Amino acid sequence: MSIGALDAGMAYGRAISGAKGGSLLPSASPLTESGGSQSAGPNFGAMVGQMVGSATNSLHGAEKASAAQVAGKGNLIDVVTAIGAAETALDTVVAVRDRVVSAYGEIMRMQI
Amino acid sequence: MGSDSIDISASGLRAQSVRMKVIAENLANADSVASSPGGAPYQRKIATFRAVLDGKQKGGEVQVTGVTSDKSAFGRTYQPGNPAADATGYVQTPNVDPLLETADMKAAQRSYEANLNAIEAARGLTMRTLDLLK
Repeated sequence: MSIGALDAGMAYGRAISGAKGGSLLPSASPLTESGGSQSAGPNFGAMVGQMVGSATNSLHGAEKASAAQVAGKGNLIDVVTAIGAAETALDTVVAVRDRVVSAYGEIMRMQI
Repeated sequence: MGSDSIDISASGLRAQSVRMKVIAENLANADSVASSPGGAPYQRKIATFRAVLDGKQKGGEVQVTGVTSDKSAFGRTYQPGNPAADATGYVQTPNVDPLLETADMKAAQRSYEANLNAIEAARGLTMRTLDLLK
């Protein structure tokens, strides 16, 4: 698992601030919608996609460990740590997504 | 942060469960004598640990180096009727001291609990950090 809670918090902060040069993903293309006058920020969709992919990988690991344990070949400690890691990864993704979506909703509700 | 320290604590859990297994083996075989006259009885086993530096985690995990035999002398009891008795009627008994094994078991148990507590603390800190986002 490569998602830490602190990493996620910093990534979120960078995604929000959209500072130049503070790109989260090297391969992320800047948002070019709305006339191309948008400042170059990291691609939020790609970031969430990468985080979900990473969380899915750790969930797969947890599933594999659980299956091995049920088949009598696994180690209980491995199962517990794998499930804990997967849970943390998923919680992190969900928290970051919720926060960014709520920020988006806040902007949409803004009076112009 | 959290995942690394949890992995290190998990290595401690693994090491202590191996130690627990060795202690159980020693206690179960405390009365195992040889099957042939004059043969060697069960020899007490000891689990030894060492610290390894995990390249990925940059942290020192614990690893079981191996399970070695205790070299201390066997006991001797006079049991002429025992099939394992030698010509003089003595039977060699294992060098297992149940009292020592019980103390060792308590130490292993405490160490396991300490590692469990470390995992719980690390997970609690991660969760509380994550709560900052909510």
